[in-house]
Amino acid sequence: MTCGAPLDVRDKVSDSGWREAPRLRDMTEFRFSASTCQVEGELVPVAEIALDPRDGVYFEHHILLWKDESVPLTSMQTNGPRRTVMGGMPHIVTVASGPGRIAFSRDAPGELVVLPLHPGMELDVREHAFLLASHSINYSFVRIKGLVNLLHGGSGMFMDRFVTQQYPGLLMLHGNGNVLERTLRPGEKILVEPGGFLYKDSTVTMQAVQMPLKTGLFSRGLYLAEMTGPGRVGIQSMYHHHGSGE
Amino acid sequence: MNTYVCKYCRQPSDPSQPTCPLCGAPVDIRESVSDSGWIKQPPIKDMAKLQFGQSHCQIAGTTVPAAEFNLAHGEMVYFSHHVLLWADPATRLQNMSLRGGWKRMMAGLPMIMLEAHGPGHIALSDNHAGEVIALPLQHGQSIWVKEHRFLTATGNVRYDWNSNDVWYVTGTGDDRETHYPMGQFGDTFTAADRPGLLLLHAPGDAFVRDLRQGESLLVQPASLIYRDVSVRVHLHLEYPRNMGFSFWRSNWDYRNILIRLVGPGRVAVNSIFERPEGMESISNHSYATRRRW
Repeated sequence: MTCGAPLDVRDKVSDSGWREAPRLRDMTEFRFSASTCQVEGELVPVAEIALDPRDGVYFEHHILLWKDESVPLTSMQTNGPRRTVMGGMPHIVTVASGPGRIAFSRDAPGELVVLPLHPGMELDVREHAFLLASHSINYSFVRIKGLVNLLHGGSGMFMDRFVTQQYPGLLMLHGNGNVLERTLRPGEKILVEPGGFLYKDSTVTMQAVQMPLKTGLFSRGLYLAEMTGPGRVGIQSMYHHHGSGE
Repeated sequence: MNTYVCKYCRQPSDPSQPTCPLCGAPVDIRESVSDSGWIKQPPIKDMAKLQFGQSHCQIAGTTVPAAEFNLAHGEMVYFSHHVLLWADPATRLQNMSLRGGWKRMMAGLPMIMLEAHGPGHIALSDNHAGEVIALPLQHGQSIWVKEHRFLTATGNVRYDWNSNDVWYVTGTGDDRETHYPMGQFGDTFTAADRPGLLLLHAPGDAFVRDLRQGESLLVQPASLIYRDVSVRVHLHLEYPRNMGFSFWRSNWDYRNILIRLVGPGRVAVNSIFERPEGMESISNHSYATRRRW
């Protein structure tokens, strides 16, 4: 078992093709590399990792919930100090190495999304949505291009990009509320509230488009993210609405 | 002849389905009623479908459920733009004008709503952990809804908003402030010419209770989700007897601000709500009952 999804429940797919991320049962345990991960709780789930001496995981430091004293922490420099200044993102991620136990959680009701990545995959993730990744996954980030996307895209200035080379790896995200996924065919489009975007295959393009709609007494133009396939798109049902602040 | 009436939406329904096709409530569960008569509103089952007109709505998720609509040609729903989660490019979106834009803005209400016209798909979700509540409305039926609880309604449901007339004033001079513990305005929805569907979002858990003629109940103002328009509401102030270490404070500063609901009719509350803030003396208020202990 590589993602902890219950095998005895039917896939939940809505009529329009959105598939619910499998809700991990309390205390579900699954393996990655030589380590194990156990998911605890269901409202604000915690991921508890038992690290093998040969393994490590990296994460944003503020999501660490607890750890064994013996688990060493090191920092991993990402290639962009500008990101700290301009994007409000940490330019250092923390690495925990085995052996030992360590646990992580974000601070919002939601779901853990477990994404085992095969060799040669590229996945883009909304900033501040990634919980942890195994050390075999390369971490970088891509700047969101275009002034319209930047100002109205609602996804911040950067997206985290996770790439696997010749080894598989495990990526865990935290989605606020419920998480839904849909696979777009080549050229197929869907309009998504930018705050609801959670992750996508790097083959899916994302472009902010302005709808000819009023959103306030003096404001005009509702911006939505137009996603164009092929590839997977993941969304979250609870989000900060970028236009209204609600 | 079908005599089954859904316990939750109070409409004639189909007991052979796993969920009520009008409100999504599970048919096969026992009613969960507290000793005091509050009925727990069961969450709509994941992927349950609600039928309205030629269209249908599917509820996806359980933590922050999204309402996904498959709109037929000629049918529409309206909603505030900030609850839009995704839409098919084929779905036609347009503005819906509302009277009193300035007042709505000053009261913190959405000034402009959007209409989504079929054919096409669209999904809406609020941004709080809680439940979607479906209220099918019969022809001519009205319901009052607390502000910010509205998710969406079908095109034939008329939307009005009126002052709640529940307020109190604290402070004097420049510090004078008017408080609206259940919001300045309330929404009223009426099925105009044929049955319609109203969807609300309630943070936390939701509970429903039926008040008999003249029966009254005190509740936290911000916890009210909806009530039948036959239920009357006014402010209620309770002053606990002052004992202990705070004897030097004015006896009348420390108070609980509640609302009194008077039947007959149905009322619903949710378990997550904001408490009224501050402990300043009340210098003026709307009609209120008082209790000094």
